[in-house]
Amino acid sequence: MASKGKLATEHGRSDSYRVATLPNIRDDNKTADGLFKSRRKNPKRKGDNLDDLKQELDIDFHKISLEELYQRFSTHPENGLSHAKAKENLERDGPNALTPPKQTPEWVKFCKNLFGGFALLLWIGAILCFIAYSIQASTSEDPNDDNLYLGIVLAAVVIVTGIFSYYQESKSSKIMESFKNMVPQFATVLREGEKLTLRAEDLVLGDVVEVKFGDRIPADIRIIESRGFKVDNSSLTGESEPQSRSPEFTNENPLETKNLAFFSTNAVEGTAKGVVICCGDQTVMGRIAGLASGLDTGETPIAKEIHHFIHLITGVAVFLGVTFFLIAFILGYHWLDAVIFLIGIIVANVPEGLLATVTVCLTLTAKRMASKNCLVKNLEAVETLGSTSTICSDKTGTLTQNRMTVAHMWFDNQIIEADTTEDQSGVQYDRTSPGFKALAKIATLCNRAEFKSGQDGEPILKREVNGDASEAALLKCMELALGDVMGIRKRNKKVCEVPFNSTNKYQVSIHETDDPNDPRYLLVMKGAPERILDRCSTIFIGGKEKVLDEEMKEAFNNAYLELGGLGERVLGFCDFMLPSDKFPIGFKFNSDDPNFPCEGLRFVGLMSMIDPPRAAVPDAVAKCRSAGIKVIMVTGDHPITAKAIAKSVGIISEGNETIEDIAQRLNIPVSEVNPREAKAAVVHGTELRELNSDQLDEILRYHTEIVFARTSPQQKLIIVEGCQRMGAIVAVTGDGVNDSPALKKADIGVAMGIAGSDVSKQAADMILLDDNFASIVTGVEEGRLIFDNLKKSIAYTLTSNIPEISPFLAFILCDIPLPLGTVTILCIDLGTDMVPAISLAYEEAESDIMKRQPRNPFTDKLVNERLISMAYGQIGMIQAAAGFFVYFVIMAENGFLPTTLFGIRKMWDSKAVNDLKDSYGQEWTYRDRKTLEFTCHTAFFVSIVIVQWADLIVCKTRRNSIIHQGMRNWALNFGLIFETALAAFLSYTPGMDKGLRMFPLKFVWWLPALPFMLAIFIYDETRRFYLRRNPGGWLEQETYY
Amino acid sequence: MTVKDSKFVAAESMNPYEKPPSMSVMQSIRTFIYNRQTGAFMGRTASSWGKIGLFYLIFYGVLAALVAICFWGFFQTLDPRKPTWQLERSIIGTNPGLGFRPMPPSANVESTLIWYKGSQRENFKHWVESLEKFLEVYIKPGLTPGRGANIHNCDYNQLPASGQVCDIDVKNWDPCIVENSFNYHKSAPCIFLKLNKIYGWVPEFYNDTETLPQKMPRELKEYIHSLKISDPRQLNTIWVSCEGENPADQENIGPVHILPRRGFPGYFYPYENSEGYLSPLVAVHFERPRSGILINVECKAWARNIHHSRNDKLGAVHFELLID
Repeated sequence: MASKGKLATEHGRSDSYRVATLPNIRDDNKTADGLFKSRRKNPKRKGDNLDDLKQELDIDFHKISLEELYQRFSTHPENGLSHAKAKENLERDGPNALTPPKQTPEWVKFCKNLFGGFALLLWIGAILCFIAYSIQASTSEDPNDDNLYLGIVLAAVVIVTGIFSYYQESKSSKIMESFKNMVPQFATVLREGEKLTLRAEDLVLGDVVEVKFGDRIPADIRIIESRGFKVDNSSLTGESEPQSRSPEFTNENPLETKNLAFFSTNAVEGTAKGVVICCGDQTVMGRIAGLASGLDTGETPIAKEIHHFIHLITGVAVFLGVTFFLIAFILGYHWLDAVIFLIGIIVANVPEGLLATVTVCLTLTAKRMASKNCLVKNLEAVETLGSTSTICSDKTGTLTQNRMTVAHMWFDNQIIEADTTEDQSGVQYDRTSPGFKALAKIATLCNRAEFKSGQDGEPILKREVNGDASEAALLKCMELALGDVMGIRKRNKKVCEVPFNSTNKYQVSIHETDDPNDPRYLLVMKGAPERILDRCSTIFIGGKEKVLDEEMKEAFNNAYLELGGLGERVLGFCDFMLPSDKFPIGFKFNSDDPNFPCEGLRFVGLMSMIDPPRAAVPDAVAKCRSAGIKVIMVTGDHPITAKAIAKSVGIISEGNETIEDIAQRLNIPVSEVNPREAKAAVVHGTELRELNSDQLDEILRYHTEIVFARTSPQQKLIIVEGCQRMGAIVAVTGDGVNDSPALKKADIGVAMGIAGSDVSKQAADMILLDDNFASIVTGVEEGRLIFDNLKKSIAYTLTSNIPEISPFLAFILCDIPLPLGTVTILCIDLGTDMVPAISLAYEEAESDIMKRQPRNPFTDKLVNERLISMAYGQIGMIQAAAGFFVYFVIMAENGFLPTTLFGIRKMWDSKAVNDLKDSYGQEWTYRDRKTLEFTCHTAFFVSIVIVQWADLIVCKTRRNSIIHQGMRNWALNFGLIFETALAAFLSYTPGMDKGLRMFPLKFVWWLPALPFMLAIFIYDETRRFYLRRNPGGWLEQETYY
Repeated sequence: MTVKDSKFVAAESMNPYEKPPSMSVMQSIRTFIYNRQTGAFMGRTASSWGKIGLFYLIFYGVLAALVAICFWGFFQTLDPRKPTWQLERSIIGTNPGLGFRPMPPSANVESTLIWYKGSQRENFKHWVESLEKFLEVYIKPGLTPGRGANIHNCDYNQLPASGQVCDIDVKNWDPCIVENSFNYHKSAPCIFLKLNKIYGWVPEFYNDTETLPQKMPRELKEYIHSLKISDPRQLNTIWVSCEGENPADQENIGPVHILPRRGFPGYFYPYENSEGYLSPLVAVHFERPRSGILINVECKAWARNIHHSRNDKLGAVHFELLID
C-alpha cells in the first residue's frame, strides 16, 4: 500500500488510468460539487445492490437522435467540446476512472490483528498485571517486579504476534499489485476542432473520441461514425464473438444495440468516432465492478472455524478464570492474589502461538499452491477450496484453451478430423489430395488474419494473430498444414476483396495465380455454409468438378448438421477460376459494386472450428467427481457448443442424458419426459429467467450434471446463490467483468491470471496463473490437506494447555508452591511448541483425500468436542501427570516430600520467612526456596517438552499407525530436535536464571517424564489400532477428531 | 457424533450437505440441555453418558495406577533421614540464612515488623506467647522425640559423637526468659536468632584473628581478639552481630546484647538430622531502643563460608522493631 501512496506523490495528481484507480485518496463518494457520485455507494442500500444489478441497464443515450445527443452534451461532432466546458465537466464528474473498491484502512487492519482473537484476552491479562504491579508498588516499598515483567512480556507477545499476522496479511494482499500494469492509457479526443491525445481519465461527458482497432474503449461511447468497426465485448457479456458497431440504433437494450461501445472493451477491427456518454463509475463496466465490491461475501469457512475455535477456548478460559477467581476469594485469598491467579489461568489457557501457527501453515500452503499456479490473495481462501462442494466454472479460457482451432474439415465428401491438441500430437490427414489442396488454398487466401511480427520462435498455435478468431484459426491450421502462408499469399497477389459483412455473410477475394502460365484470376470465397452453397452450381470431389445435385446437397447437409451438432462453428468454402477472356490481366475489379460473378461457383468444402478443451481438464473434472465435487458449467456461449464441450471434458459424463436426449431417443415430446430420469441438464439463460428460486433449487438438487448456457452476469449470481442456499460451498471461476459479482458472491472466487480482467481479479480470492481448470484440483487437494493438518496442529498445541493450567489449579486448591510459572508457559506456547506445530503443516495425507466427499461445513468442525476430549481429557492429562511427577521428584530429592508441600504455599511465598523447614529439618531461605521452585518450573517445562515428543508423533496421524505413516516429514523431525535443543538452551544457558528464571537441571530430572511419554505413545497407538479395526465404532465416534 | 457422514454419503448423491434447520439461541440451548426427541441430556443420552463416563473412569484409573507405580518406584530411592542431594549438589546450597523469633502472626505472613506497646501487656501478648511456644521444646527436652536418649553435654572440647545431639543451656538467657516476659514489658525486648540448618554443613570459623573481614563490626572484632587471649577454644564459634541497617537506625538501636554468648558454638555442626537435634539459639537483647520510631535491624552470622547478601537474606536476617 505504501507504494501506492508513493506513486500518487510522484505523479502529482494521477498520471494514468491505473494510477487513478489506486486508492491514494479516500473516496468520500461525493462529486466536486458535493453531490453523491452514485447511488450504489450509499451504504444503507446494500441490500438493493443486488437488485440493481439484476435490473437491466436504464439509459436512453442510444435511443435519442444524434442532434439531441450533441445538444445534451453541448458538443459538436467535428469540433468536440470547448476546453472550458471540458474543464467544467471534469470538475463536476471527476476523472474518468473506476473508483477502486473501498479498502479497509491499514490501521483498522492492524488494530484487528492487535485486538482480534485471543489478543483481547491477553491484553486483559497484561492490564491486570500492570494493575497488580502498580498496587503493589504503591503499597509496598519493595514491590515484586514479577507482575510488571509478566505484563510487559504479555503485551510484547500480543504486539509481536499482531504485527506478524498483519505482515502476513499485507504480504498476500500485495500480490495484487503485481497484476497492475502501469501502462497509461491514452485516447484521441476532439476539442475545439483540434485532435488531442489525452490520458483516458481526463475524458469527460460529451467528448468526441476516435478509436481504432487495438484500442481499448476509453469510456462508454455512442458511435457517430464507423468504418468496419468491431468490438470484443467478452469481458462484459461473455460473448466471445467480436461484434460490429455502427451509428444505427438497433435494440432497446443498451447492451445489444449497435451504436454503443463500452468502457474497457477492446476494439478489434476498424475505426469509429463517438461521443462519450458515461464516464468512470457511471459506465456499465463501472457499475458492475462497483456492485461486485458492494456485495457482502461473508466469512470464509476457515475463518468461521477459527472463530468457533476461539470462542470455545475463550469460553473455557473465562469460565475457569472466573471460577477460580471466586474460589480464591472463598478460600480467603487476598484479592490481589486472586487477580494474579486469574492472570495465570488466562495465560495458561490461551494458546498464544496458535493463531500465528495457523497463519504460518496457511502461508506455507499458499506458497505451495502458488508454485502450482494457484495464487491465493486471501490467506483464508487456501482452505476454502478444500471444503468446496460445488464448482461453477466458466467455459471459455478455463475449460477450453480460448483459442479457436480448426477441428474438422469436410472435403471429398468425408469429414476429416483436424488436430486440436495443444501439442499437435493428434490425427494427421492426407495433405496431398486435390480436395484438400483446393480447400487449403481458399482458406489461405480468403483470409485477412496475419501473425503479429516477432514471434518466429513461438510454436504456431501459440502465436498471436491480428484478426478475428475464426480467421486466426484458419491461418494457424494452414500454417501448420502448408507452412509459410504469407509466402503463398505473396505469390497469389490479392487484387480485390469484399470483406465479411452481416448481410452477405460471406467474404470474397480475387487473386492472381502463382502459375505464371495461367493468366486467369482466382476467385475465392468463404462464409456461412448455406449461403455459400446457394452460390455454387458445382462441387469439387475427388479432384473432379461435379454438378451440385440433390444427392450432393444431402451429403453437404448431413456434414453441416453433424459438425454443427458438435458445437462447432462451420464455414463453407468455394472458388472459381475467372475466365481470362472476360477478366483479362489488369482487369479493374470493383469491390463496392461487384463486377465479377458471385454465383455459379465451385463448392470445395467445409471447415469447422471450436475452442477445444484443455488437455488436462477431463482428468481434472473426473478428479473433482471422485472428490465429491459437483462441477457446473456456466457460460455465455451457445447451448450446443456448451454441451459439446461439457461432454468432451466430462462435465456431462458418458451415458448421461439430458431431458432433450431422452425425448429424442424415445421419440416423445420433451414435456412427457420425467425430469428426474435425466441426470444431466442443459439450461438455457432464457429458461432460467422464467424459473423461480424453488424451481432452480430443484434443478440444482436433482441433476448431478448441469450446464447453464447463454447466461447473463445476473444469472451467474443467481446460480451461485442457489447453490449456497442449498448449503454448498461454492467456487466460481471466471475471467470477465461480467463474472465479478459471482466471483465476489462465491465462497471462493477464482479469477484467471492471463485472460482475466482486472475487475475480476480484484473480486476474486484466488488467481489461476495458467488459467487452467486443472490447477483448481491441486487447490482442492492442498485445501483439504491443510484442513486435516490444521486439526493435527491444533490438537498438538491444545494438548499442552492441560499441563499448563493444572499447576495453577493445584497451586490454588492444594496450596503447594507453584509448579509451573507463567513465563515458562509462554516459553512452551511461543517457543518449543511453535516449530513442531508448524511442521505438522508439512505432513502428508493419510489416505487419498481426493477420494472422499468434501467436508460438511455444518458438522465437520475444525475443532470439535472429540478433539478437545482427546487433547484435554486424555493426552493432556497424561502430560500433566508427567509434569507433576517431575515436580514432586525434584522437591522430594531436595528435601520437601509431597506431604510437606501441601498447605505450605503462604510460608513458601513469603519473603519474611527466611527459615522454612523441609522434611529433613533443613531450613531454607527465601532465595533458595525460589531457586528450587524455579528449578521445578524448568523441570516441569522440560517434561512437557518430552511428553510433547510423543504427542507430536501421535498427532501425525488421526487414523493410521505411525509405522504406516513413517517419519519422513523432515520438518517435523527437525521440530523434535529443535524443541529439545531449545529446552536445553533455556535451561543451561548462563544468565537464563536472571532473565527467564530458568535453572540448569540435573540430567536425571529429564528422565521422570519418560514413562509418561511412552504411555502417550502406546495409548494412542492402541486407540488408533482399535479405530482401524472397528471403523465407525464407539471409539471412533468418541475420539476420532 | 457425525463422523460417519463423510463416508456413508453415497457417491450417487452429488448434492452438498443440507443446511441444518436454523434455531434461535434459546432454542438451541434448550435442546442442548434436554433434547426431547432423543432424550439426550447435555448433548448425550443416558447410555452415552454412561459409556463415556466408564471410559474416562478406566482411563483415569489406569493413569492413576501409572502415577502410583512411578511414585512407588521413586520413593524406593529416598532415604528417610538423609536428603538425596546435599550441600552444593542440592539447591539449598552451602550458605545458610538466619531466622528470627518471634514472628508476626500468620495472618501477616509477609511482614517482619515487631511492633508493640510496652505499657500494655495485652498488646505484646502475641510476641511473648509465640516466643514461649517456640522455646517450649528447648525448656522441656521431653517434647522432642529422641532428644533424651541422644543428648550430650557438649563443649568446645567435648564434641558430640555421631548421632548425639548437644544440650542447650536455657538458663543463661536472663533477662530473656519466660518469667521476665522476655523483657518486653520494659520496652527492651529480646529477639531470638537461629542459624538455618543445612544437612552436612560444616562451618569454617573465624578463629584466626588476623584475617577477620573488614565489614565485621569493630566491637565484635575486639571481642574476638580478647577471647583469643582468654579462651582460644571458644573461637570455634559462628559469630552473630546485630546492627541498625542505616546510619539512623544505628543511632536508634541503642546497645545490643547477644546472649548467652556472641554466636553459635561450633560443636553443634554439622547438622545430620540426628534424632532430637535442636538448633542453637542466641537471644538478642535490645537494651534501650528508641521508642516510637521504626528501627531496621540486620543480624548477620559470621563464618568464613557464610556470604552475606542483604537482598537475598543470605547469612543474615532482617526485621523491624517499633516500640510505642
